[in-house]
Amino acid sequence: MTPRKVRSGNFIARLLPFWLLLPSLLIIGAIQLYPTLFSFLLSTQRVESGTGRQLFVGLANFRRLFTSSEFTQSLVHTAIFLLGYAILTMSLAFGVALLLKQRIRLTPVYITLIFVPWVISDVIAGVVWRLFVVPEYGQFSPFFANPSLFGEPNGISILTSPAHNQISPDFPFPPAPALIFLIVAAVWKILPFITLLILGALQTVPTEVQESAAIDGATGLQALRFITLPLILPMLTVALFNLILGGVNGVGMVFSLTGGGPGTSTEVLSYLLYSLGFSKLDFGLAAALSVFIAILNLGLITLTLRTSRAYEENI
Amino acid sequence: MSIYRKCWSFASVIIALLVCVACVAPPAAPGASSAAPASGGETEIISWYYYDQNNTDPQANERVGNFYLAKTIPLFNEQFKGKYTWSNVPHDYNLALDLVTAVQNKGDIPDVMRMGASDLPTFIVNNTVQDLTDFIKSAPWYSELDPKALTACTGPDGKLYCVPISESPYVVFYWSDLYPNGFPKTTDEFLKEAAALKSQGKYALTYWGSTAFDGEAAGRYYFQVLSSFGGGYDDGKGSMLLNTPENIKAVEFMREIVTKGYSSESVFVGNFEEEAAFKDAEAGAFPTGFFVAYQYLNPLTSPKGTAYKSATAKDMEDAVKAGEIKIAPSFAPEGKQPGCHNDVFGFVIPNGAKNPEGAKAYINWVMDPTNGVDWVLNAGGGLPVAKSMLSNAAFQTEVFKQGATAGAASDCRAWYGSLLKIPEAKKIIATTLFDLIKSNPTADIAAALTKAQDEYNKNK
Repeated sequence: MTPRKVRSGNFIARLLPFWLLLPSLLIIGAIQLYPTLFSFLLSTQRVESGTGRQLFVGLANFRRLFTSSEFTQSLVHTAIFLLGYAILTMSLAFGVALLLKQRIRLTPVYITLIFVPWVISDVIAGVVWRLFVVPEYGQFSPFFANPSLFGEPNGISILTSPAHNQISPDFPFPPAPALIFLIVAAVWKILPFITLLILGALQTVPTEVQESAAIDGATGLQALRFITLPLILPMLTVALFNLILGGVNGVGMVFSLTGGGPGTSTEVLSYLLYSLGFSKLDFGLAAALSVFIAILNLGLITLTLRTSRAYEENI
Repeated sequence: MSIYRKCWSFASVIIALLVCVACVAPPAAPGASSAAPASGGETEIISWYYYDQNNTDPQANERVGNFYLAKTIPLFNEQFKGKYTWSNVPHDYNLALDLVTAVQNKGDIPDVMRMGASDLPTFIVNNTVQDLTDFIKSAPWYSELDPKALTACTGPDGKLYCVPISESPYVVFYWSDLYPNGFPKTTDEFLKEAAALKSQGKYALTYWGSTAFDGEAAGRYYFQVLSSFGGGYDDGKGSMLLNTPENIKAVEFMREIVTKGYSSESVFVGNFEEEAAFKDAEAGAFPTGFFVAYQYLNPLTSPKGTAYKSATAKDMEDAVKAGEIKIAPSFAPEGKQPGCHNDVFGFVIPNGAKNPEGAKAYINWVMDPTNGVDWVLNAGGGLPVAKSMLSNAAFQTEVFKQGATAGAASDCRAWYGSLLKIPEAKKIIATTLFDLIKSNPTADIAAALTKAQDEYNKNK
């Protein structure tokens, strides 16, 4: 064998991993990388009225986006939704997981039942929750229409009542009843998944450690704070990632439950993105918003990671 | 070279290749005519409808259109054997979006597409469709077309961009037992009747008042009322004009209907929930599009309890024939003509269509009354735009006659007037009017209308 042949054989052998990775790289490139790059490109273009030509406009789409009142409003709606969604889900899921960990009678049955909402699609869940509160025949409508509970003269109608005493039209806080209802419906939908994640993590906490803590005189709350929480923190971080991504990017339930209404009171960023792209056909502005949402996702996840790391170090 | 550097180099090459392939894709010249020959020297005509000729489900929402295509495609192909083959590509309701993106991205572009004229401004802004002025004006059926429908197909440059075939004026369907003296002609009479109906536990009317579907209400009830007061949405030169005395009076009138409880809460819910009140005769009247009501407002139960339950257009036909439902123009203030939006349906030929000549032959075939009546009844919807078709026996039933009369008595025009950015306009208008009549019934109307028109005009 000549030295040249040896070198060429080595070269092929050394490149073998790349060839094996090539199909995956091509697929990722085609379905993830290319659309991402194209979105960046599109965010710097707009259609010239009348000719349909794509013009390069630099950052003008971002300027248009950030100065529009619908963007400000939907950003506030998203923040309210995300906070309510994440806090309520994490608290309830943690509580339910602690209960299920007690291994009471019929626990497997409860776990199976609690999993049902998660397998229902967002759109179907939204339609069902919507039907609960349709003014004329919704099962919960009479409850919300009770004036002694929800104010004179006719209580509230979830799908049509506006928010009252908001700070300003551009800062829509406190939210409309529909947004609160949307949070509750979304929490109901995601609760089983997050509960099971936390339950799984809780079951990995060694009982010896908990027993040692109890022998050393730690209260239940202290054991939870100093033993259980640090041990399940990685799973809590994963759960929070899931909630943030779902909360910022989910559009199915908004679409089928409220359609962004009443007015624009449940129009969150993901719904605005849909509306700009698929209703207004303003692809440049929609692409600018998608870039913003991607950066927002990245920022929130980084923040979550840093916070959980800092917490871990403190413990 | 480290394995990481090699890895990065290799990945960079792949990425660069992908980007290059995407960027240098060969562009198709708009309007290029290179129809794909089908078998035996025939050229293919590709249409887009939101009907599916392969869907034989008798319960499908669009069953009427589906069956129409299944029946007529073989018929057309038989008549044009050796010359043209018609193939239809079924789409969902987002035909306009699909067409704009197909033309912009030089994708699969049809030769002809069924459209509603309210999509035309969007097509014009995006340079999506061809100028059909010469074709339409030289066609034998041109002189027969309703001028109002032709206006809906006319762009701001005066050119014709679509072929109008059917139209659906926005009129009022009402239960005759709840309005025994006929539907009120004036707004004052309406308010008196509404108070009387409320005392009987009925709503005077139901309507699309929600902001659902990105502001569809702008072209429906809101425009019907505003135009009946002599108002509208534009200045005739492409700018939005909302703050006018007529519009302010119309908003005050709509507020009164809501605050006095003459309409139910469901009018603001969306998702067609408002229809239920009319179908069950809980509400006396429903201002809506003729085609929408005729085709989709079913099953029905009259105030007397008569059930029309075939769940097809036959229910409305039977109820109107029995005199239980009647069709009238909208109410209007004393001395004003009732206003109305006119939906117009027909065809466009997109830029980039491979077989525009085939598309024109297809349109001419549909415009022949022998085929056109079937198209209007089953694929277009509403009333025919051509006079010769309107006199056909199929349109002499009570429901069509009343619809045509009510439409003719109204000042029907496209709600968007000279506005070109339709999606922006309808959302701004619907959100503002919803806010004024429902969310903030004490807000300053003039200030809110000015703010809304400024918002549109700054980006137009």
